[in-house]
Amino acid sequence: MDFSCSYNSSLRFLIKRLVDFFHYLFFLTFFSYELFVDYSLPRKEEDLKMSSSSYNTSVIPSSSSSAQPFFITSSGTGDNDFNRKDTFMSMIQQPNSSAPPPKKRRNQPGNPNPDAEVVALSPKTLMATNRFICDVCNKGFQREQNLQLHRRGHNLPWKLKQKSTKEVKRKVYLCPEPTCVHHDPSRALGDLTGIKKHYYRKHGEKKWKCEKCSKRYAVQSDWKAHSKTCGTKEYRCDCGTIFSRRDSYITHRAFCDALIQETARNPTVSFTSMAAASSGVGSGGIYGRLGGGSALSHHHLSDHPSSGFSPLAGYNLNIATSENRRDFLPQSSNPNFLIQCASSQGMSTTMPNNNDQSFMNQHGLIQFDPVDNINLKNSNTNNSFFNLGFFQENTKNSETTFPSLYSTDVLVHHREENLNTGSNVSATALLQKATQMGSVTSNDPSALFRGLASSSNSSSVIANHFGGGRIMENDNNGNLQGLMNSLAAVNGGGGSGGSIFDVQFGDNGNMSGSDKLTLDFLGVGGMVRNVNRGGGGGRGSGRGGVSLDGEVKFPEQNHPFGRG
Amino acid sequence: MSRLFLPSCLQHSLILFLCFLQKLSFAFIIIRIACLPSSSSSSVFSHSHLQRPIMNTTQIINPTRPIWPGFSSSKSLCGDANCMEQLLLHCAKAIESNDATLAQQIIWVLNNLASPDGDSTQRLASSFLRALISRAASKSPAFAFLSLAATASVSQKMLHRFSVIELAEFVDLTPWHRFGFIAANAAILDAVEGYSSVHIVDLSLTHCMQIPTLIDSMANKLHKQPPPLLKLTVIASDAESHPPPLLGISYEELGSKLVNFATTRNIAMEFRIISSSYSDGLSSLIEQLRIDPFVFNEALVVNCHMMLHYIPDETLTSNPLRSVLLKELRDLNPTIVTLIDEDSDFTSTNFISRLRSLYNYMWIPYETADMFLTRGSEHRQWYEADISWKIDNIVAKEGAERVERLELKSRWFERMREAKFAGVGFGERAGTEVKTMLEEHATGWGMKEDVEDDDDVERFVLTWKGHSVVFASAWAPINGVAADLI
Repeated sequence: MDFSCSYNSSLRFLIKRLVDFFHYLFFLTFFSYELFVDYSLPRKEEDLKMSSSSYNTSVIPSSSSSAQPFFITSSGTGDNDFNRKDTFMSMIQQPNSSAPPPKKRRNQPGNPNPDAEVVALSPKTLMATNRFICDVCNKGFQREQNLQLHRRGHNLPWKLKQKSTKEVKRKVYLCPEPTCVHHDPSRALGDLTGIKKHYYRKHGEKKWKCEKCSKRYAVQSDWKAHSKTCGTKEYRCDCGTIFSRRDSYITHRAFCDALIQETARNPTVSFTSMAAASSGVGSGGIYGRLGGGSALSHHHLSDHPSSGFSPLAGYNLNIATSENRRDFLPQSSNPNFLIQCASSQGMSTTMPNNNDQSFMNQHGLIQFDPVDNINLKNSNTNNSFFNLGFFQENTKNSETTFPSLYSTDVLVHHREENLNTGSNVSATALLQKATQMGSVTSNDPSALFRGLASSSNSSSVIANHFGGGRIMENDNNGNLQGLMNSLAAVNGGGGSGGSIFDVQFGDNGNMSGSDKLTLDFLGVGGMVRNVNRGGGGGRGSGRGGVSLDGEVKFPEQNHPFGRG
Repeated sequence: MSRLFLPSCLQHSLILFLCFLQKLSFAFIIIRIACLPSSSSSSVFSHSHLQRPIMNTTQIINPTRPIWPGFSSSKSLCGDANCMEQLLLHCAKAIESNDATLAQQIIWVLNNLASPDGDSTQRLASSFLRALISRAASKSPAFAFLSLAATASVSQKMLHRFSVIELAEFVDLTPWHRFGFIAANAAILDAVEGYSSVHIVDLSLTHCMQIPTLIDSMANKLHKQPPPLLKLTVIASDAESHPPPLLGISYEELGSKLVNFATTRNIAMEFRIISSSYSDGLSSLIEQLRIDPFVFNEALVVNCHMMLHYIPDETLTSNPLRSVLLKELRDLNPTIVTLIDEDSDFTSTNFISRLRSLYNYMWIPYETADMFLTRGSEHRQWYEADISWKIDNIVAKEGAERVERLELKSRWFERMREAKFAGVGFGERAGTEVKTMLEEHATGWGMKEDVEDDDDVERFVLTWKGHSVVFASAWAPINGVAADLI
């Protein structure tokens, strides 16, 4: 860069002075090689001594073997690194060999030619950029030759270094870091650029940070190379952060709000089904069950070609289940969409606040008191097994049915998530898995109902309706009847102290439930109507409904088992 | 130059310092008395020409200070790292002997050498210096002149409270934590195979940052389907004294996020918080675990990740709380106990030797910081404030306030064996995983597979340039199988 720059400026100059032009050509022809050699390197054994007195000198030790004056930049130039101390240490490993190699070639890293001169540069020298400063315009150059050419433009005295009659001795470079393997002369690196990059990379500060991911680079070219490929190979979270390591990605993913927000952003028909309110007292720790069991999902398609997938967020208990926010297209741009609703099964928890010490979920009951809850346990186990099979089936379907709907960014996920056999998250990317878990806050703030329980029977019902949902794609009348039909009846298993709500979703979003739940169902029903009208309205409602569940309730739910 | 300023009546040790200074080739020492009140009457600074009040430490930078990132921070070069250590030790000795004059002189010198924004050695020394000043100021009225400077020392309030996302990023800045995560997760995964329920007691300093990957691998790698129910019990110590890193959200929120995440991985999870404090050896936790009902086919896992060293050791209390805790854990008959901690010894009652071992350990986090954090960045400030807090705790605090009580791994292993635990080796997969992870970090990181003669079980030791940093070990109760049958 510097070279071409000064080359051009020199050219312009040469137009004016023809004599100089020939002169210049002469040098170019015969010494072009020299232009690329860093002449700041010590040449003489005088430079061997590493003297502390050189700390304050602003003079770069010039290569005394060269005849031309070495221009010393004054310390007044200020902002360059030039006037810092430069300490050189150069060792001649062997006396000048009489038979130098005929051609310059790059030495193999770590296997220096034993004849080569070993050069140890200070970190400062290695990290210096543009050390040759023009007195007039303060422009910096990486090489002295370039500065000389530049000086001609200022009509200053200049002199290009001539190729010495002596053969150029090959040099190898040591890393100044004593603990580095390349600090040993036997492992010296063969070229100056190599040692510079090595030093930057391994012992330098990583100044270049990728904007897309958190990776940092010490060498700008590395950073540039990375920037080109960043995002193509790494793990990408929906929040935009990119990770090179799966560990980091998983950890981030678990805590990233994208996991929750994706649900809130999604216009879901939030069906509230009811769960058995079971409470019990564990003799020991009080476990709150936050996580539900397996979430079932359906994919759904719009008949509108531009809308693509319109997935529903999984909502299990009060928690988002869906993995993939990008699958959720903004509904405002996606007015025609169909929703297939899925039911998911999960455990239910109820937490009467006035009885906050006695909060137990199904699992807790099972775990602590297996005999009393033998029924629950059975159903639970069945569900889990059933769900698994159901998932896998779904995945297969989706892959065969809609291969063209893969998008590139989904693939990122796909690659990673494929490893998931149990959770089947790849299905998320492919299927737009929809999981509906309602959660309702009843008017009585002391009673929180979460989740729904669905038996294995209901799961199979869903699976059957899965096909029905697709029929609905074709018959896109915007009516949610089919949707409602696809909903399974949800049966909550009752705990010993709990009550059972059987919720049957009927046509047109009418739902029957217990009185206690009517209010909430109405809210949900409104949401359903909005969805019916179009995406935009549905979106708002969906967000409202979900955020109520997802955010407001967290603390409340967690408190009862917060302190054992 | 500097010699001229010094009165002739100085003690011989100060002359030693001048030798150091000459070694360091500091032709000029610009006086920065920011930490020192200029009115101190008994000081050597009473020469009028030395009493220049200096406004701002950052404005005056010694131009002669070598700022070589590579050279000056390296331990092998007899550079200023060793000299700095000597100076700090002399300073500590002067403080211990209540020699205010000498201490102030050394502090003055150190203050010129140690810059909070210099290279890693300088930043390390700067942290030590602040801690020493803080110690001196609280120690004796003789050091009252330092009380102003001591207020600048690190307090809990100055520490950054990480958001959960920040913390997730933070633990992966270096392999410091991830090393233990990987090793422990691998050991846990091997141990819980076949159980239908896994109860993990996470005694971890890093606020469950290990758990997501554990959940993930439980979902992916366990052959048992469906994956077992995961119960997670964490302890909440009182917030004021919690050592860094601090978390900005409550454990309740954290737990709900974890459970949410587990749900996406198809794992049923329960989360429980138990208030417990280190000072009584986590007695309330143990009590709770004792009365937990027995669950058929449940694995109990105790994951101790850099937390047990906050439990008082024998130098503080006559009650051997650490050993008692381990024995109590043993009585719970856990399936596996993982023990990961930093490998150093800060329990010595001798302040000087404690300082020495502290210095010879704490250079590592400072030096590694140069590798991945840019100078002056916010992250670096957080990171180094956390280290400074630890240094301050060990140097300036005594008694129950001094909570950073690391012990060498050999001592921990001894305790584990006394509590009738037997070592469990890590699988080959764990070693591969750790090594792959280390390759992604700076070149200085490495791993040793350490086999002790006593039990012929290999442990992992994380190393930085060959220096031992963190050890990871896994343990199971002796005769655990027999106990299972009872």
